[in-house]
Amino acid sequence: MLKMTHLAKVYRTEVVETYALRDFNIDVKEGEFVAVTGPSGSGKTTFLTIAGLLETFTGGQYHLDGVEVSQLDDNARSRIRNEKIGFIFQAFNLIPDLNVFDNVEVPLRYRGMKAAERKQRIMDALERVGLASRAKHYPAELSGGQQQRVAIARALAGSPRLLLADEPTGNLDTQMARGVMELLEEIHREGATIVMVTHDPELAARAQRNVHVIDGQVVDLSEEPRFHTQPHVALS
Amino acid sequence: MQIKPILSALRRHKAGTILIALQIALTLAIVCNALFIVHERVDKVNRTTGLDETNLIAIGNDYVGAPETFAPLMKTDLQTLRSLPGVVDAYVTNAYPLRQGGWSTGVQTDPDSKKEGISTALYFGDDHALKTLGVRLIAGRNFNAGETQTVKREQQPGSPQIIVTKALADKVFPDGNALGKVVYLAKGKPSTIIGIVEKLTSPWIENNYVDGDYVVIMPVIFDSSFQNFLVRTQPGQEDAVFKAIPQALYAVNRMRVLPEKLGVRRFEDVRARAYEADRGMAILMSVVCGVLLAITAAGIVGLSSFWVGQRRKQIGVRRALGARRSDILSYFMTENFLIALVGVVVGVVLAVGLSQWMFTHFEMKRLSLTYVGIGVVALLALGQAAVFAPALRASRVSPVEATRSV
Repeated sequence: MLKMTHLAKVYRTEVVETYALRDFNIDVKEGEFVAVTGPSGSGKTTFLTIAGLLETFTGGQYHLDGVEVSQLDDNARSRIRNEKIGFIFQAFNLIPDLNVFDNVEVPLRYRGMKAAERKQRIMDALERVGLASRAKHYPAELSGGQQQRVAIARALAGSPRLLLADEPTGNLDTQMARGVMELLEEIHREGATIVMVTHDPELAARAQRNVHVIDGQVVDLSEEPRFHTQPHVALS
Repeated sequence: MQIKPILSALRRHKAGTILIALQIALTLAIVCNALFIVHERVDKVNRTTGLDETNLIAIGNDYVGAPETFAPLMKTDLQTLRSLPGVVDAYVTNAYPLRQGGWSTGVQTDPDSKKEGISTALYFGDDHALKTLGVRLIAGRNFNAGETQTVKREQQPGSPQIIVTKALADKVFPDGNALGKVVYLAKGKPSTIIGIVEKLTSPWIENNYVDGDYVVIMPVIFDSSFQNFLVRTQPGQEDAVFKAIPQALYAVNRMRVLPEKLGVRRFEDVRARAYEADRGMAILMSVVCGVLLAITAAGIVGLSSFWVGQRRKQIGVRRALGARRSDILSYFMTENFLIALVGVVVGVVLAVGLSQWMFTHFEMKRLSLTYVGIGVVALLALGQAAVFAPALRASRVSPVEATRSV
């Protein structure tokens, strides 16, 4: 589903080159729930932005759903983001001017879907996250947990092949975080492929597999004694 | 289309939306009316006189002193002018087109009528008048040298022969055949129409005195101190003649004043002076239009830029969710179009209302709907042009913006 080989991301200025990712290798199979962990500045968010085609990379190869994406133009990348990827952001990133229904509708509109089908999918997605009754509410009228649920509904509405979550519970209190995590687990059990970036070991422990990133590279946890207490395999 | 979500978003930004729509509405209302006025004035300024205005010089001459008669002085001056190198012909008159001062009289076919007759401009001249003016005689004949009479100030000017404009001929004799007919000028003696000229306008640019190109030319030299000489020069000789005239006239008789502004003038200066106010108004209105449109465009650019800056993150999120650059561009263009549409709808109402108000209070013509149409298209186009740069900037916001904290 998601395969990066010797991937590099370099930020260049006139005087210095900074490697955000270096010889980065990862292979996420269809239906997997992978947590990407690592300290701040390790490159895990850069990995996620490249995985989500939000950013380009400097070297190596990236196959998404069998397609090598490095040569795709901006429109093609937009189409893949729209059709194959669902994003869940730490800050929810709902559009404050739009109500819940219209927020969930955003990616579907960009797909050129007919109004009736859009409505059906939106309501299904909102039912799925338990917020169908809040369709006419604006984000500011919802709690953080509810906002993240709307964001998950928005990600699910387009039936993506891959869900990318960036610290999905980072802005939530424990109770809300638990609810959101349970929802993600449920979605995974239904067959979704999920890649979640987190620095929270407890959250990472609930994923099927952990990938640890340090200094822009994936490291084998077995060689990293500091993290031996953290499980490699999810609890599902 | 993204109209529904755009409208939803605009409802949450009422103040900015209403202000910019109102600005567009006011601009449309003022610009439509101003352009209408400009067009009217330009039309007016470009009206033809029937004269061949090139190579024509007008002289305002005031004889000083109190001789018993000015006729010999005029005769000498005419001889002097006609003999100047480069001069084709010259004559003396009381008035001419665009002079903004002249005589009017009433023309009627019934000598006993109590009515005033058709108000018409009265020009004096002689057998040199038509050639000097460059007007086209379309029927009948020119005056003979012997037909010109000198008329004293205290006398009622009149002549057995007159030449009239076609407009007057058609007005007095709608069935045609004006040539050879007799008319009466202001309770005077009968005058026979011996010639008809194609076109010649009255001295006034407004129709306050004469309601059309109604002109009578009479073979008369009016014996008074102030006279107007018209001089036609050969092509290419206008400058030389223009410079030679004052010296030549002063040489034959120093007892005269050639006023600085109304003395010796090329006809283009006569025209420019006559339409000074109209041209000034047209320029002023054009400047007002330009400034208003620039302010409106700047307002749109400013607000759009502000909104783009404010919504960078949102744009990034939209891009992350699959929006193409063209989707973002069209979002902002459509948003502006919808605001401008509301603005122009209100603006049309205001424009028509303003025109109605000016019609009632200033006797101005009613605004043509063509101008409203042009204004609507212009404002919508201006809006789209003004929003294009900010929208283009918006479309270049990277999707990775979605992951950045504000």
